[in-house]
Formats: sequence, structure tokens, C-alpha cells
Amino acid sequence: MGRSGRTFYERRKAEGRRRKCQDREDVVAVKENNSPPAARSWRDIPQNVKPRAMSREGRRRLKLRVFRAGAGALVLALIAWGAWEVASALRIDPQAAPSLASAAPVRELRLATDGVLDRAWLARTLQLPRGATLMELDLGRLRTRLLASGQARTAAIDRVFPATLAVRVSERSPVARLAAPAGAEGAGPLLVARDGVAFAGEGYAPAMLATLPELEGVKLVRQGEGYAPIAGMGTVADLLARAQLDAASIYRSWQAVSLAKLASDGEIAVRNRDGLTVIFGTQEDFFRQLGKLDLLLDAAAGKPGQAMREINLSIEGQASVALAPAVTPDAAAAPPAADAAASDPPAAPAPAPAAADLSVSSQYNIHL
Amino acid sequence: MSSSHTFIGAVEIGTSKVTVLVGQYTGRELAIIGCGECPASGVIKGAVVDYKAASDCTHAAVEQAERDAGERIDCVFLAQTGSHLEGFYNEAAVSVKAADNMIDRDDIRTVCELATAKELPAGRVVVRHLRRPFRVDGRLVPTSPENLVGQRLEVGYWTVHGQEQRLADNMHVIRGFNLEVRELVLSSLASGHMVTTPEERQHGVLVLDIGAGTTDYVLYRDGGPHTTGVVAIGGAHLTNDLSIGLRLTDGQAEKLKLRYGRALPQTRDRNEKVWLDGNYSIGDRQFPRHSIEQVTSARFWELLEVTKKKLGNAFAAETCASGVVLTGGTAKLPGAAECAAKVFGVPAHLGEAPAWITENLRDPGCHTALGLLYYGVTAQSEPAASSRRRGGFLHSVTRLFANS
Repeated sequence: MGRSGRTFYERRKAEGRRRKCQDREDVVAVKENNSPPAARSWRDIPQNVKPRAMSREGRRRLKLRVFRAGAGALVLALIAWGAWEVASALRIDPQAAPSLASAAPVRELRLATDGVLDRAWLARTLQLPRGATLMELDLGRLRTRLLASGQARTAAIDRVFPATLAVRVSERSPVARLAAPAGAEGAGPLLVARDGVAFAGEGYAPAMLATLPELEGVKLVRQGEGYAPIAGMGTVADLLARAQLDAASIYRSWQAVSLAKLASDGEIAVRNRDGLTVIFGTQEDFFRQLGKLDLLLDAAAGKPGQAMREINLSIEGQASVALAPAVTPDAAAAPPAADAAASDPPAAPAPAPAAADLSVSSQYNIHL
Repeated sequence: MSSSHTFIGAVEIGTSKVTVLVGQYTGRELAIIGCGECPASGVIKGAVVDYKAASDCTHAAVEQAERDAGERIDCVFLAQTGSHLEGFYNEAAVSVKAADNMIDRDDIRTVCELATAKELPAGRVVVRHLRRPFRVDGRLVPTSPENLVGQRLEVGYWTVHGQEQRLADNMHVIRGFNLEVRELVLSSLASGHMVTTPEERQHGVLVLDIGAGTTDYVLYRDGGPHTTGVVAIGGAHLTNDLSIGLRLTDGQAEKLKLRYGRALPQTRDRNEKVWLDGNYSIGDRQFPRHSIEQVTSARFWELLEVTKKKLGNAFAAETCASGVVLTGGTAKLPGAAECAAKVFGVPAHLGEAPAWITENLRDPGCHTALGLLYYGVTAQSEPAASSRRRGGFLHSVTRLFANS
């Protein structure tokens, strides 16, 4: 008799019954599992080898790999730790993150520009609220304000923590002046850049502005808060730049540039301080046209009796010169008449049509 | 290393030399960018018998290939040969389940699992299951039978299995360089894939890769591998016979074999003699050329006869219309193709790599390594993908940092 009160024979019998049940369960399990047992594949062979079974290069590679894996894990752990810290701080005090930024209001405006604008203009244009912090500022809106002036071609604004707003500006360069249309804000003239944008120039020296020719024959069109770009200014700017560079003495005498016939006839009319009108064509190289002009002016300088009224350089290969009426000795010796004309009111000067009538016979076509 | 590129090393540990090629695989294109070779030691008939010596020469070849490529190898495709590799054929059939008798993926999966479910003896592991074409009601279906209509779906697999310890030895040699063996490819399949065209494989072709220690063969039918095998005879046996027959050292016998050995005897004049070295040095002597040719041709003939016998009924001239293609270093023996044509009764020729392979890799001894890369990348892409999946996320993260 055993401890359980059963005989050895009974225990053997119970064990046999239990094994039979176990075998039956195994068979059922195999039948239920439709997929047959798969043979072992070479992929089941473990590829790990001990470092001492490796070559020196293999061990070096293993160390490098372990080091990189460890460094990667460390980086991941640091990122996770940082994220957890931030999350904890925000969970405790949700206002913690904004309060960090609000603690430092903007104290300094830093301007970097390639032109003449200064910090006063910057402060005036940005109109920052008093006590505003860097994070409270809408940089997109501030940039729009800077660009709305027209003088700033590009603008970039950066937050420099803790309390500095850094602004980088690239400015437009004026190539001509333009009288502001009647009723426009501000009485001063506008400046026009090469891309046709008209803007109220700030910070320029008056002497420099006086050298710029004035645009005529241009109709400004309102666009938003400013004006639409003037078409054809690129061509005009090329002419002015070429003249400034290669014929500085001629350029200095230019007073006005007319774009009235630019779009229709491809002509740019330039009037100088002596009343001479020079018509440039956009089809021919400006350098050649300036060369012709210089030649004609030199030729005219040698003939003081023949004053030129208009030179048309837009005709390819030739220049058309209209001469002013010849000054007769009588007219020259008639000071009372000249005095009378000078003493007349502003509307009194000698009428141009009379001179034109006299110059009909003095039109020359010079083949160059 | 660029993250979009994988640098694969194709390693063939042969009896006479270890060849390593480095391929740059972009997911769509494979470019061979490096090559390394080293005389083998510690390897007999494709099996590692001296771990240290085999490791040293293999690692030297891998380092040379990496230097040539200027990149580090990420994983390895390893060629596998040896007399321990055996194969058997097993087939299975299922009745199509659907009421409209249209075959679906479950039917295909079931019949494939049944056909590959064959238990192996202890210590044996599966190296490769090579599927033969499906049959739907007796009709041959070379590609997938999905959505075809039939009542009975059959498929057969040629299963290649090998001794676990020998496979592990080869893999550990690679692992000793801290490289992962991504694929284990049969040498016969690798070289066969390189020297035959799809048309030849469709018509039936036998490829013999005659190396120094073993001869691997693969018989293609219906566009895919039908039977593979390994005969433990190779070029080293020709050298050994010459060494014993002419009482030479192995080195001298190898030199004579390379210079004057032939697969079919050609010299009629029994008195024609050749010098061992030809420089009148001490020990230099003459041998009858006829004798050298007799020894090498007899052994080569025997090699082919043994191979034919091992193929048994699987090989028939009627089902091997494209003949026999020879490759491997010993296939360069003059007259080898003529000898094979006589033994097998079908046309035979030396295998050539495709035209776009560069000149320095066109040697028959490089065909296996070349095929390793191309067969490994194209034909075995799915198992490679499944093995990558097994690593899981953590494995991927580790690899990311390890490869960065």
C-alpha cells in the first residue's frame, strides 16, 4: 500500500490511463493544426561565434558595432529623458513653456542692410508693441510691413534669444525720380527702382537724389497700399546705367526721361538741361547710341551758331538731328525784346511752335 | 555608406581558392565594384577542416575585396558545396477547395507546405527547396496557378539538405569577420544561373561546375532547376593521379596538368616528351606527353561518367535539348567539351558569362561568385526579405546605428 492508499498495480493503471489521454490530446492537436511540421532550415543554425574565434579585423568590427549601437542607444535614451522631463514640467505647470518666453521682452532691434535704412526706420516700420516678447511677435506680419515700404526688396527676421530681434534687409537702388501723383500721401517725389517699383525713399542724401533724372510719361496705378510696378523700367535702367558708366558728362546733363513712347514705339526720350531732346531706340545697343550722341554733341560744339533741338538715335544706322532756329544777329542784338521776354510772366517765354516753324528747313539726316 | 545602398559580398570558399566579389545593390540595380582572391587552405572538397587556416585566407580575400571596392560589406551570400549535400524529390497534391474550382492562394500555400514537409534525419538541415512547375489536372503550369480553374493541384520540390555541422563551419568562418550570412546559395545554382540563358533552361540544359575538389551539377528543365547534386571529384584528382603515376610532387603535377593535360588524348606519338620545367635546372626531367594525356583524360572521363551515373534517370538526351554547359576552373582543360559531348551524348560547350561582364571576371573560375550575386539578388529576394523581418524593430534600430 502506498501513501495514497492505492496499490502499486492501481497506480500503474492510473499512470497508463493518463499517458493514453496525453497521447490522444497530442493526436488531436496535430489533427487540428493543418500545417505539417517543417524541417529545420539552414537559417535555424545560430551564426553567433565567440570573439576569440574571430579574426582581429572581425573583433575590431564587433567592437565598433557594439560602440555604435551603444552610442545610438544612449542618444535615444537622452532624447527620451529630455522628452520625459519636458512632459513632466508641462504636466505640473502647463503655463511653464510660454512663461519662459514671456519673461524676456524685446530689448534690442538689430538691423543689417546693404543700403541706407537705419534703426529708426526699422522701429517706425515694425511698430512693435511695448513690452512684447519674442514669442509673441508674428514674424510673418512684421516682414510684410517691412516689404510694404517698397524700399526693402527682401527681409528676413530672426529671433535671437533672449531679447533681440535681428532683421536683415536688402534694399532696392533708385534709378530715377517720379513726381507723386496728385492726392497721394506725402508730398515728396517717389523713387523708382530697376524692377519698376516706386517707393518713397528714406535716408538718401539730397545731393544724390538731385542727380537722378525724372520720369515722365508714366501713369502710376494703385496696387494695394503702394503702386503697381512700372513696365519697361528695366530697359530704362539699362540706358541710365550705361550712360552713367560710359558717358558721365552727358548723363549729368539729363533732366528727364520720358517713357511715353516706350511701349508703343520702343523709344526713350531724354531731355537735358539745355532743352535738347535725345530719342533712344530700344532695338539698338545703348552703347552705340551713346557713342553717336557723343559724336554729334562734339560736332555741334564746334558750330556755335547751330543749336540742336532734337536728336533721334532710334533709327538704325543714322541719326536724325533737328536744329533749333538760327540765332540772327538782329535777334542777338535786340536786348529790349529779350528783356521784354524775360520780364514777362512765366507763361511768356518764346513759343516753341514759332521755333519749330523756323527749323523746318534745318532738318538733317546724318548717316553714321 | 549611403543608406539606400547595400553592399553585398559574394563569397565562394573553394578547395583551391577563395573568391569574393562586392556588389552594390540599390534595390533595382546591382553593380560589381570589388573583387578579392586568395589561395585557399584548410578546405578539402568544399568542407572546412582547419578553421584557423580557412578563416585567415577567407578574411584576407574579403579584406582585399573591400579595399578594391572602397566600401564595407554589409552582408554575405555564401556559396555552398560539398559531398554532404544531398537532394530528394517530394511532391504533394490537393483538391481545389472552391466550389467554382478556381485555385486561390490558400490552395497554393497548402500544397507547397505539404510538398516541403518532409522530416530529415537528425543533424540534417534544409539548404534549399527548389520548386518544379505546378500541375493543374496534369497540365503543366510554369508560373503561378492562381485563378486557374482545375480540380487537382500538384507540385513537386527538389529539396537539398546538408549536414548541419559542416554548414555551420562555413558560416562561422564568415561570422568570424563579423559579417552576417544573408543567403546560402548552392554553387551549382549560382554558376548555372550565370552561364545559361532562360531559353536554354526552358529547353533543358545540364550545367557542370567542375572545381578543384568537387563537381557541382544542376539539371534545368522547363525553365527551372530540376535536379542538383555534388560529386566529390574535381581537378585536384587529376593532379593527384598525375602525381602518383609520374611520381611528382603536387605542385609539379599541377604545373604539368595545366600545361599539357587534356580531357581527350590527342598525341599519337608515344615518344614525344615534354620537360617538367624546361629551364635545364637540377631536377628538371622529361615525361611522355602521351602518358600525361592518358592520365588526365581517363580521370576526366571517369568524373563525367560518375556524374552521369549519379544523375540517373533524371538525365535524358531528349529532355536536355540545350546540351551540357561546362564551367569551373577544371573545365578549362582542353577537350573538356568534346569529352562531355561523348559521355552524355548531347552537344556540349564551355559556359561564358554574359557580354556585360568585364573581362577580368569572365574566367570560368569566377562564374560561381558572379552567379552568387545575381542569383542571390534576383531568385532569392523573398527569403531574404523574410529573414530581415524576423529581426524586428529593435534589430532594425541596432542595424541603423551599426551601419551608419
